[in-house]
Formats: sequence, structure tokens, C-alpha cells
Amino acid sequence: MNSTKIRKAGGFILLLTTSVTAVAQEATEAAVTAPTGGALGLDRFSSMELLLLGLIGTILLLGAASIIKLSFSLLEMQKLRVLEKYSPEQLQEIGVANVVSTEPWWKEMYKKWTNVVPVEKEQDIMLDHDYDGIHELDNSLPPWWLAIFYVTTAFAVFYIGYQHFSDYGTSSQEAYVMEMEEAEASVKAFLATQANAVDETNVVMLDDPEAIGRGEMTYIAKCAVCHGQLGEGGIGPNLTDQYWLHGGSIADVFKTVKYGVPEKGMVPWKNDLRPAQIQEVASFIKTLVGTNPPNPKEAQGEIYVDDPAETTEEPSEESLSMNE
Amino acid sequence: MTKTATKTDALGLEHFKYDNDIVRKFAYATAFWGLIGMTVGLLAALQMIWPALNFTPETTFGRVRPLHTNAAIFAFVGNGIYMGVYYSLQRLMKARMWSDLLSTLHFYGWQIIILAAALTLPLGISTGKEYAELEWPIDIGIALVWIFFGINMFMTIMKRRERHLYVAVWFYIATWITVTVLHVGNSLELPATLWKSYPLFAGVQDALVQWWYGHNAVAFFLTTPYLGLMYYFLPKAANRPVYSYRLSIIHFWALIFIYIWAGPHHLLYTSLPDWAQSLGMVFSLMLIAPSWGGMLNGLLTLRGAWDRVREDPVLKMMVVAVTAYGMATLEGPLLSIKSVNAISHYTDWTVGHVHIGTLGWNGMLTFGILYWLFPRLFDTKLYSKKLANVHFWIATLGMLFYAIPLYWAGWTQSSMWKQFLPEGMLQYGNFLETVTAILPMYMMRAFGGAIYLAGVILMIYNLIKTVKQGNFIGDEDASAPPLQGAVEAHKGEHWHRWIERRPVQLLIGSAVVVLIGGMVEIFPMVMVEDNVPKIESVRPYTALELNGRDLYIKEGCNTCHSQMIRPFRSETERYGEYSKSGEFIYDRPHLWGSKRTGPDLHRVGQKYPDSWHYNHMMDPRITSPGSIMPPYAWMLEKDLDTRYTPAKIRTLMTLGTPYPDDYPETAAEDMQRQAKEIADRLRAQGVEEPAEGRLEDKQIIAMIAYLQRLGTDIKTTVGEPTKK
Repeated sequence: MNSTKIRKAGGFILLLTTSVTAVAQEATEAAVTAPTGGALGLDRFSSMELLLLGLIGTILLLGAASIIKLSFSLLEMQKLRVLEKYSPEQLQEIGVANVVSTEPWWKEMYKKWTNVVPVEKEQDIMLDHDYDGIHELDNSLPPWWLAIFYVTTAFAVFYIGYQHFSDYGTSSQEAYVMEMEEAEASVKAFLATQANAVDETNVVMLDDPEAIGRGEMTYIAKCAVCHGQLGEGGIGPNLTDQYWLHGGSIADVFKTVKYGVPEKGMVPWKNDLRPAQIQEVASFIKTLVGTNPPNPKEAQGEIYVDDPAETTEEPSEESLSMNE
Repeated sequence: MTKTATKTDALGLEHFKYDNDIVRKFAYATAFWGLIGMTVGLLAALQMIWPALNFTPETTFGRVRPLHTNAAIFAFVGNGIYMGVYYSLQRLMKARMWSDLLSTLHFYGWQIIILAAALTLPLGISTGKEYAELEWPIDIGIALVWIFFGINMFMTIMKRRERHLYVAVWFYIATWITVTVLHVGNSLELPATLWKSYPLFAGVQDALVQWWYGHNAVAFFLTTPYLGLMYYFLPKAANRPVYSYRLSIIHFWALIFIYIWAGPHHLLYTSLPDWAQSLGMVFSLMLIAPSWGGMLNGLLTLRGAWDRVREDPVLKMMVVAVTAYGMATLEGPLLSIKSVNAISHYTDWTVGHVHIGTLGWNGMLTFGILYWLFPRLFDTKLYSKKLANVHFWIATLGMLFYAIPLYWAGWTQSSMWKQFLPEGMLQYGNFLETVTAILPMYMMRAFGGAIYLAGVILMIYNLIKTVKQGNFIGDEDASAPPLQGAVEAHKGEHWHRWIERRPVQLLIGSAVVVLIGGMVEIFPMVMVEDNVPKIESVRPYTALELNGRDLYIKEGCNTCHSQMIRPFRSETERYGEYSKSGEFIYDRPHLWGSKRTGPDLHRVGQKYPDSWHYNHMMDPRITSPGSIMPPYAWMLEKDLDTRYTPAKIRTLMTLGTPYPDDYPETAAEDMQRQAKEIADRLRAQGVEEPAEGRLEDKQIIAMIAYLQRLGTDIKTTVGEPTKK
């Protein structure tokens, strides 16, 4: 009688503690993320993060529960001692087993969560049917298994309600818009730290051999397929003569590489190469002029000759710093 | 009558014979098609490393892959199901199969269907719907043979000598009715010619129906019948009672009810409406427990027999099978969580996942059953237990060598797809880089597959030797008391016993349970127009584009290229605006794909010049060095077959595609015009005339027409993101 009461009280305290923990946890989450949306700020988390948080929460709760359970067993042991000392006849009446468990809590927990009849006693739960010699036991549903079933079902109800019947749900499209906005902000922030990004308006010819070498590597990897290993041309035009279809200045070559000429078959590279890489490869291409490789493709486009003043110019500080 | 007739003895026992011959036939077919299916799989795995192994059009990856999946699922596992059902059902019902003729028709009918698949798939006759590639005449054949099987099974059950149906039989019944529903539902198609049909549903609706089918083909062809087999053969082999009757009941009903709903998890982040995606996700999570119920009942049945598991190759294989089942059915729900799916989908992770199921669960359980069955059918001992143990080890290793590299590959590739530079561009803007990075993993996968296959060869040798040393018992003597009239319920019996005595009610009950999920998801998608918001600028394909699209289906391009850009920055940056459901309303069937071995193609239209595609098809390595795509040079040489164009267009018009009334007649002219435009552009870009015939008439022209059209209809009108 006493023990059931104690158990009930324990259960209540446990419930109280867990809800307090849960509230506290939510409060911390809310404080950390400073939500702009939902009351708990849960919409700031991806479902993976929520899952993780849920997992951590569960572990914390289990830990708290086991500590509480432990203190209750200690309390009961103390009670046993008191009973033994002052009122042995009452102890006789209740029986020791009812007052205190003799097994450690985890073993008890394991038993409780598996609830399996041992192999030696399985005759007791053997059903009388026989199917071609196959018998069935009547073990109960493993409680841990049942718990998974209940938890996943509860989650299903919660998720559908949260996503589709509350104001906090995020549709795939809304999530996309948010992702794009965040990315735009972070790219902007990054670019703000990068002075003088190269583009077609300010690009200059490089003559640092290392930069040209990097340009050549890019050329072999990306361009040689169409323009030939030596720039002699193939699917694409010859790059070693003085004739250019889309302009032969460094800015023109840079622009052609960057944006491509889709109607003629030249692929844009702005999504594959960084601006500095485009500058390197454009500079390398300019060095090919006049190399006269074997099997050249016929000249196409208009003749372009660099302004000598421009070509002899030393690379500016800017372009060098860009390549570091 | 015949030697198989029933006789009653003085004690009232009926004497009859089990038909072992049909079991033997299916067992031989299982082993044979296992060998073939896995060999084709190995070829496909090697083709993904060395494109030179795509020898002819018939042996090109796009056609080999469906051949592999169909052979593995419907030939290997299919025959495995029938083998197990025909053996166990007779014994659980204490009755011979109802009709030897139907058994025989079933056997030969199914083998003819497999042969038809093995012929048509390499010829490029395909519906383009994953795991349902076979064209309509074969679909009808499948339905017919399946009905033979059903009648034979039910009549055997009706004529049984055992009052109650054992859990294995519940699974057989649910399998039969659900596969019937799925096969019919997903094969709703209108034939245009003898070997070409168009599905009733288009675009997102077709996708939903397809994955309702595809997912549940896994559930009701690879899972529930095999759970039935597990419930019979595992306790038999272990000689232990089944762990929990109550667990069987709950997990059976929960499994068949919940499984049906989970189909949309194949379509997460696609243009399927969010509500359907959410249902797919939460029902997948709820599947963990019902699936694990099966695993628990399998593994816990072995309590008290673990000492024998160590020695007996049959039990060992069954343990690995059940464990693999448990792993795959935990992994599946996790992959269905949207944010996990965002990483795993379209990658090799999925391929690794399904092979844990097929190599582990289906393969190992089949091997275990074969090793258990042959000595019994042939009244002898297994020729070599040692060889069977060797088989066990190499199969287990093969499975791990297969799956782990693919998990690694999937994770690596997905991370590369999503990697941005701080400047805001993709770090691996060239898709090819993300493919060449995982080639070593593909090699390890092929190695794993090869040793798994070697195990199967060992098994076949072992089984042949067993057959040679034994004496086949074609008709096995059995006796049982006849079934007395209706039995009243025992006092205090479990409520479920009621339905276990009533096969018809069990059939109807499972039909109702499996129909609910499908109806709740499919009907609103098909009926409610809001679910597919219209886009004004989307037009039907021209006749030439349509023919190009049919070529795309024929070559199985969709086995490696998706046409579904998900709403992620990493995808819109790489491919362009994310895909909208309204763009697919003329897509019969949808070609969203499920794996990106190559890049997504939904917005490939107008991205490259025509000549790029021309050169790319001739040999992908001209335009993309290091590519593993097979060459399609025959498209440059073969003329397009336009004979059936009017019939195709008429079929599509019947299905609701709004072509002008006279389009079937004017289509030829329209095709000429569009083909000439493309051919002229190609010439201007330096493409030479073909050796024979006109450039205008080649298949490549139609293919280019289709590819250049893809995803371009909305280029002028980019829709606002829709609120839920």
C-alpha cells in the first residue's frame, strides 16, 4: 500500500521534472536563436537539427529519470532500514520484495522494456495450434518496440499538424526562398571583403609566368577539347592566329570565356571558373598568338593586333594582388 | 484416377501427395535467373567504370539496367516466391495444390514473360516507368499468369485440411491482392502500336502513381511474400516456435496498411505537392516498428538455437537476411526524412540501400531456403556444408563490398554537388568532376558484386551435386484428417482467430486496408486541379520532339539523367529554375528519374548548341573528356522511324493532349520543317552529311529537337513561389 503511493508520487514528480526540463530547454533554444518566426523558434531548425535536439532531449530526460529513480530506490532502502529497526512486524506483513527491488534498475528496466518470457518457461505461453510442425509462442509485444510505434505515430500527427495546419510550417518553396536570401547575404558579405574583383571592365593581361602556367593548366583541362591542345582549333576556332571572331583584346577574350557564345557553340564558364582563373586562361590564350602549331584550322573572324603600348605594360599591382 | 488422388483410410485419415515437382521447377528457375540477373547487374556495374563495355545498342547501359532490375526482381525473386509458396502452402494447408495444370501454366507462363522481358528490354521496348518497363502486351500476360497463381492458391486454401491460416498465408494473400491492384493501377495505359503505349496519367500524377507502384513493388513483391517465407522456413530450419503470435498480428496489419502510404518518399522536394510529400515522409517513419516486428519475430524465434546458428549455413544465411531486412527498413525511413533525402536522393546512397535489401534480405533468404529445400526434395544431404559456409562468407563480404563504397560514393558526390565557393559559385560546377571522383568506389562496388555472384555459382554447383546424389520425390506422401464442418470459436480464444478461419474475409480485409492509403493520396492528385497549377506557356511536344522523347525512353536516358530540379540553391545554380508541376502536364510518362549518374536535364534546352549534342551523342568523350556516358553513335546513322507518328498523336489526343484536330495528318509535314531547321543549324555549325541518307532523317535530329525543348516553356515566365 505504502509502496504504490510512493510510486505514484514518484511518477508525479517525474512528470513535473520532465515538463520543467522541457520548458527550460525550449526557453534556452528560444533565447539562443532569437526567433523571428514561430513562438518557439522551431522553424529556424532543419528537421535534421530538430531530430538531433529531440535525441539530446530524450537522453537528458532519460538521465534525469534514472537519477530520480535512483534516489527513490535509496529512499526505499532507507525506509526498509527504518522499518526493520522500529517495526519489524509491519515489514513481515508487507514482505521485503514489495518494499525494495533486489535487482539493479537497469536490469529491471531491460526486463520491463523487453517483457519476454524466458526460453525455459516458454511451454507456459505455447499456443496449442500446430502448423506443419510450427508452433507459436504468445510473447507480448516488446514494450520498446511498441514505444517506437507510438513515438513515430505521435511524430506523424505532430509533423502534419505543424507543417500543414499551423502558421509555423515552411513549404519547400518558402524554404528555398529563405536559402537563397541567406546565400545572397553571405556572398555579398564575402565580396565586400574582396577588393577589386576582376571583371571584363578592368581585366588586364598577366605576364607573371606562374599565372600563365595556371592558365595553361585550365586551358588543357577545359578548352583543349574544342580548341586543340596547342590552340590550333578543332570544333572551336584557331586561337593561334591573329583573327578573332569575338574580339582579340584581353577584355574581349575574358568576356567570351566568361559568358560564352551559346549560339556558336562556345560554352559559358562563369559558373565553373573563378574570375581570376578566367583572367589567367584569357592571358594564356593571348600568349598563343603567333605560335604556328601544326594542322591549324583556317582563320576566322577579323584581324586584331594588340596596341603595343598596352602589351608591354607591366601588370598592375591590382592584378597581382588578385592572384595571390 | 491418377497416382495423386486422395484416399481415405480406416481411421478416417485422408492420404494425399504434395506436389514437389512444381517446387523443383521454380527452384531451378530461381537459381538460374539469379545467376543471369546478377551477371547482367555486374555488366551494368562495369559499364559505369568503362563505357567501352557498351558494345551494341542492345547492350547499352540504359537498356541493361532495366534488364538487371527486372531479372533480379521478377525473375529471381519472383521464382523464389513461387518456389517457397508452392512448398509451404501445400504443407500449411495440408493439401496438394488445387490444380496441377494451373501450377504448370503458372510456371511456364512466368518463364515466357521473363523471356519476353529479356527480349524486349534490350530491343528498347520500354514504357520508361521504373520497375514497370514492360510494354502493354506483356503487362496483360503478367496479369493472366498472376491470376492463374491466385486461383490455384485460393482454391488450395478453400480445399484445405487445416482450419486456421498461419501467418505466412496471411502474407501470401495480402501479397496477391495488393500486387494485383498495383499492377493494374500502374499499367493503365493506352496502346498506340503493338509495342508502344502512353500512360493514362501525365506528369506529376503519373509520377505519384508510378511510385505508389514502385515503392509497393518493393513492399509487396520483395517484402511481404518473403516475410511469409521467413515465417515458414525459419522456424522450420531452426525447429523453434515463432516468438510471438500477437506480434505477428499487429505487424502484419500495420505493415500492409502503412506501407501503401509511403510511396511519395520517392518524390520528396519534387513538384509533387507538399501535403503528399509530408504524408510520404511520416508514414515511412511509422513503418519502422511494423517492419521491425517482422525482424524481431524472425530473430527472436532463434532464441535457444543460437548454438546451431554458428554451424548451420541455412540458419546463418537466414540470420543475415533478417538482419539486413531490419537494417534496410530502418534506413529506408531515415532516408525518407526530407532533410536526409535532400542529401541522399539521386545519389548512389539509394542504390546501396536497395542492395542491402535485395542482396541481403531477398538473396540470403533465397539461398538459405534453397540449401534447406534441396536435401528434402531429393531425400539426401546437402552435398557440401563446407561450400555452403564458404558461400555464406563470400556473399556477406560481397554485400558489404557492394554497399559500403556506394554509401561513401553517394555521400561524397552529394557533398560535391552542394559545395559552394564563398564567391557564390559552385565549387564543382562541372558535373563530371563529381562523377570521376567516385569511380574508385564504383570499382569496389563491382568487385563486391562479382564476389557475390561467385557465391551464387558456388551454390549452383553445390545444388547440382546434391541433386545428382539424391533421389527426387516428385509426389510426397502426406496424410491428414479431413476438415470437419464449421468450427465454433473456442471460449477465450484470441479475437484474431475469427479471421484466420475465413480466407475470403482475410482477402477482403487486406484489400480494404491496402486500398485506403493509395486512394487518399492518388484521388485528390488526379481530381483536384489545384494540385497541378496550370502554366499558360506550356505547350504539347511537336511531332518531332515527341519522337525524340520516345527515343529518350527507348534508350533509357532516364536511368541516369533526372528531369526534376529540386528547390535547392545548389540545383538552381547548376541547372536553372526549379521544376514546376505545371510543366509536365504533357509528359506521358513522366521522366523525372531517380538517379543522377549524369546531370539533370530538365533545363538542358537551349543550353548548348545543336552541334554540341550531335558530337556528344557520337561520343560523349569528345565534348566531355572522362565522361562515363555510353556513346550513341547509331543515332547519327539510323533513320527515325516515323511510321507510327499519326497513331501516337491520335493516342495522345484521346488521352487529352490538345493538338489541333488535323495534327495527325499534318504531323509529317511539321516534322520535315522542324528537322530541316535543326539539320541546317547543324550544317552551319560544321556537322558533315551522314555517309548514307539525309541528315534530316536521322534519329539524332529528333533527339536534339526534344533535348532543346526541355524546360524552355517557362523561360519567359518564372512563377512566383507558391504559398502552401
